[in-house]
Amino acid sequence: MAERSKLMKDFWRGGELFVWLTASGVALSLLMVAGMMTLIMVNGLGQFWPGTLQQVTLRSQEQVIGRLVGEEVIPEAGISGTGASPLRYRYRVGNRDQFGSEYRWINEADIQSIAAPKDLASVERREWGPAYGRISVGTQDGTTASPSEGTWSTVVTLVKRANQLRRRIEHLERDEIGAINHRIEQARLARQALALKSQQGPGEAEEDRRLVDRITVLERDYAATTEALERLRAEAGQEVLLLTLSNGKSVPLSLDRVLAVSRPNAMTLLEKSWAYVHNLWQFVSGEPREANTEGGIFPAIFGTVLMVFLMTLAVMPFGVMAAVYLREYAKQGPLVRLVRIAVNNLAGVPSIVFGVFGLAFFVYALGGTIDQWLFPEALPNPTFGTGGILWASLTLALLTVPVVIVATEEGLSAVPPDFREGSVGLGATKFETIRHVILPCALPGILTGLILAMARAAGEVAPLMLTGVVKLAPALPLDEYFPYLHLDRKFMHLGFHIYDVGFQSPNVEAAKPMVYMTTLILILVVVLLNLAAVMLRNRLRRRFATSAV
Amino acid sequence: MERTRVPPMLKPFDIRAWLDRTARSVITVGGLATIVSILAIFFFLFREVTPLFSPPSAKLSQRLSVPALLEEQGPAQVAVDEHREIAQVFTSRAIQFIDLKSGQPIPIEMPPQLAGQQITAMASGGGAVPRFAVGTAEGSILLLKIGITTEFSERGERQKHPHVRAGLPIPVTTSPIVRLAYRTGDHGTVFAVASKADRLLIVRLAADDPSGDHPLIEELPQPAGAVTALALDALLENLFVGLSNGAVMHLALPETGAPELRASYPVAPPATAVTALGFLSGDRSLVVMTADGGVSTWGLVRHAEAPSGWTLSRMHVLHAHKGPVTSFAPSQRVKGFLTGDAQGNLFLHHATSSQTLLRLSTGEFPVRAVAFAPKGDGFITLDRAGQLSVYRLQNPYPEVTLGTLFGKVWYEGYDQPAHVWQSSSGSDDVEPKLGLLPLAFGTLKGTLYALLLAVPIAILAAMCTSQFMHQDLRAKVKPVIEVMAALPTVVLGFLAGLWLAPLLERMLPAVVGMVLVVPTLVVLASLGWHLCPPIITRYLPHGKEALVLIPILAAGIGGCLWANSFFEDWWFEGNIKVWLSTHLGIQYDQRNALVVGIVMGFAIVPVIYSIAEEALSNVPKSQIAGSLALGATRWQTVLHLVLLSASPGIFSAVMIGFGRAIGETMIVLMATGNTPILDWSWANGFRTLSANIAVEIPEAPHGGSLYRVLFLAALLLFVVTFVVNSLAELVRQRLRDKYTHG
Repeated sequence: MAERSKLMKDFWRGGELFVWLTASGVALSLLMVAGMMTLIMVNGLGQFWPGTLQQVTLRSQEQVIGRLVGEEVIPEAGISGTGASPLRYRYRVGNRDQFGSEYRWINEADIQSIAAPKDLASVERREWGPAYGRISVGTQDGTTASPSEGTWSTVVTLVKRANQLRRRIEHLERDEIGAINHRIEQARLARQALALKSQQGPGEAEEDRRLVDRITVLERDYAATTEALERLRAEAGQEVLLLTLSNGKSVPLSLDRVLAVSRPNAMTLLEKSWAYVHNLWQFVSGEPREANTEGGIFPAIFGTVLMVFLMTLAVMPFGVMAAVYLREYAKQGPLVRLVRIAVNNLAGVPSIVFGVFGLAFFVYALGGTIDQWLFPEALPNPTFGTGGILWASLTLALLTVPVVIVATEEGLSAVPPDFREGSVGLGATKFETIRHVILPCALPGILTGLILAMARAAGEVAPLMLTGVVKLAPALPLDEYFPYLHLDRKFMHLGFHIYDVGFQSPNVEAAKPMVYMTTLILILVVVLLNLAAVMLRNRLRRRFATSAV
Repeated sequence: MERTRVPPMLKPFDIRAWLDRTARSVITVGGLATIVSILAIFFFLFREVTPLFSPPSAKLSQRLSVPALLEEQGPAQVAVDEHREIAQVFTSRAIQFIDLKSGQPIPIEMPPQLAGQQITAMASGGGAVPRFAVGTAEGSILLLKIGITTEFSERGERQKHPHVRAGLPIPVTTSPIVRLAYRTGDHGTVFAVASKADRLLIVRLAADDPSGDHPLIEELPQPAGAVTALALDALLENLFVGLSNGAVMHLALPETGAPELRASYPVAPPATAVTALGFLSGDRSLVVMTADGGVSTWGLVRHAEAPSGWTLSRMHVLHAHKGPVTSFAPSQRVKGFLTGDAQGNLFLHHATSSQTLLRLSTGEFPVRAVAFAPKGDGFITLDRAGQLSVYRLQNPYPEVTLGTLFGKVWYEGYDQPAHVWQSSSGSDDVEPKLGLLPLAFGTLKGTLYALLLAVPIAILAAMCTSQFMHQDLRAKVKPVIEVMAALPTVVLGFLAGLWLAPLLERMLPAVVGMVLVVPTLVVLASLGWHLCPPIITRYLPHGKEALVLIPILAAGIGGCLWANSFFEDWWFEGNIKVWLSTHLGIQYDQRNALVVGIVMGFAIVPVIYSIAEEALSNVPKSQIAGSLALGATRWQTVLHLVLLSASPGIFSAVMIGFGRAIGETMIVLMATGNTPILDWSWANGFRTLSANIAVEIPEAPHGGSLYRVLFLAALLLFVVTFVVNSLAELVRQRLRDKYTHG
């Protein structure tokens, strides 16, 4: 007993309790990180798995077809303490156009039986989200043969053919008509530029006539292509699938609105895995549909990558130059020390402040001036006088240049002084010393800074919202028309995509899995970049830790 | 470093020396340019903000003597067109248009109805359309439309055609009309008429009778003094009558039924006459001008004790004139107005900000009439000497002062002065309310809640990893926590808004449970570990307590979530939201400060952690070893030695966390309701400066008041974070020096 009480005394006096308390800080932090990552991964990655379609028969004999997506204890179910609380299930029943809502709560008490018949099909459509039901080949008037394995293969073939047709339509729409439109626009702008010239002579009039002729020819091309397009569209709309809904109603599904059909209940595990990979790829490489709540996020990925790339191009030379100046050329003293602190602190200034600066300086001041000098023919429509990928990149470059400067300086200062003295002693000039000795040694430090800057830039959203990001960009900033890289275009961004779809879209509930997946991709990009930086930094430290002493 | 310069004895065309020099200048120029340009952000922001506070100025651009107007008595109105090219003068004798370029009158066709009429009172109809009513010596009212139509010729030249149209006289009384007020609305047209014998009449024209064939005339009881001014609001509901005894009567004009005297308010010292009454744009603020030169604005405010529920309150007192106020003109765009006095002085006031912006003298003659140019960029005056003066006015941001940005302001429609941010509204008549205080408050509130969560966790974790943790584990844990700092905040904001906020709403009792359960579990775990026989504990070396705690805490948190409904039943009578509102009076919003506190706390934990960790682990190992060797336990060493030595570093860590939280945009944008309210409660939302910028700047017109105020908000954020970070950096550097030299 005495021993026990001594133990307790030790416990209080020794402060072991507080050591454990500090450990709880670490434990909580780690739990939060792990919890968050798990949450995002489960919600994001889970959605591509072709889950079982259930057919639920209610006690009222009503049939419901859908995917089980959640369950909960019925809130406010009445008296508590009556034993087991009643549950209810949440089904995604799809067919938003028919049922009004994609989701439906079903009380456990109302369910008579649940089955998973193999002939249930899931249809991915261009509009209105997914549809679930039984599928057969139909005609416009709604007659059908009974569903069997034979018809299923016909359905699959039909969908495949419709997809080929759609690709041709898209090619016509985007590439050919896009090219004609582009040329018409160019000619129109050339005419306006001509009209803005101060002296108008016969040469100008001749040129103007030539442009008018060109526009006429192009417009004829345009009409012809549109006609061909209409024909293809009519062809695509001819064939019809018939979808029998859970309530027994049959709705015709025009094939040009169908993207994919599947029968998840009839799939083997291998087929499901393949479908999973396929869906994931579609998400990463596809275009968004339905106000970004469906389809893929390729333009957002592309926009993010291009923006970060442009930012790197801007930030690298200037950041490195500033750091080299501060460390190698500037006279070290209180002023440089002050500048160093100021630069360091700029990294802590809120990103929205940089966004505001970017809007006022780049977009309005610089962009407005460029428009007046270089693109007067397009006014009053702004070319550079509105947000665009260039301004967004430059804004982020300003935001991240302190990171690069600080990291580069750190790298430069880690180069042992002997290297410098040795090089100069051998007769190299200062610049040669910097170029051939110091910079190569400091390269890991510079790269670390750059990667950190890229990671920061990839995750920033607030400044972009003011300087050129949009929810849906009509075209990528990089295409096949001169000058190929369109720095004035607006772009999409993963981070903004998350904000927009999660908070501004009309159908947040259905879009949530998409947002989780986008989040996962963004986190992956950022965390991988950061880990790379951490590894580089560690390598750098080790290298000079051994060589310095 | 100077020694490395290339010696002069090298060949003059040495390519290496040239390259060296070039590189030196390129790097110097490029480096300096980079540094200067990033530091120039501050000055650029500053430059965008300063116009807000530049004082207004007025410059006389033209002065014309119109002899025909000399020394004339009786009412007068002036106006000038938007390009300040044509002046319009309307006196009891005539309506004249004067071309300001040539100074010559423009001939117009006068409507025959006006011929032979002696005009004794005038009233403007308010609003954008230039409508007037005049009262005559015969006791009739005439409606006038005076305006300028602008046409563009084929060559694109602007041509202006002044015109005057008049309706037929509407006889309302037999004695001369001395004061008149006139407004027209959806329900028809109303005139308030004061005639020579101090009789007060209300004349109504039905909406389907615009020409006044069947006027409805009601006589009001005779007021206590002579009627000196009348004002009627655009709703056609309220009539204010200024009297010679210094009172203003408020009469309600119900749509049907007799006018009703609501109350009479003393607005000036006794026996000081009210000389003019007028409404600011929007017809809600009544400007009262008196014979002693007083200028004040009044508004109808809800008041429980008043019989009608409303009372006329003095909202703003403006700089007083030295003599009687003789003329008044409201701005058509903002809550500003001009007043002129009998000594020829002209004051420009802004009601909402309670300031008199400009005081100038137009000469020694009394100001008879004054009017703003339609765009508010100029004004015109007419004095008793028959002089017309046109001024150019520079006053782009009258509504913004330090007082309106940070102080309480009495806005129209409010019962009392308040801090309000409401930058836009459905109607043009409602002015933007740009009070930054609710936003600054929101910023501090969010930061505070985030720090409440982050500081303990981050510092505990830093103490643990730097002092108690096993080296191997530390090498793994540290990067994981630090990578958290790189998580895009948009991700955290998304999780906060769409996952945590709805979850917390359901699981609030579980969270309350966690607050109790988690510390208890830590105590129990440490106690259990201490009492455990060594045979078990030796498998886990010292410094891996965190690993033991992770499953325990996970289980505890999971258990709390599972027991959510039990907690709710036991502690909160089955419904926590109802319980909160009945017992504590707290209204729970889904997106609230608690959610932001948790998530933003999560975001700044790694920031605070990594700096605090650095400070703690920089405490020399020799000192720690000494303390331990003298018999102190590891906790005693940490508490009395390490923590004390590293406290400046920990302080700077908290400062940097503070700086990070204050400017955080995406989390607060997505996880609060963005309501600009002043309330410390954890259960409701707020709006921060940063989120406010993100929400409003895309809509703010370039160069406008809102745009510049948002820049001011950005500048504030910049300055605050910069100062906080600099302080933290100084503290850190001092600490570093202490340990490297000491």
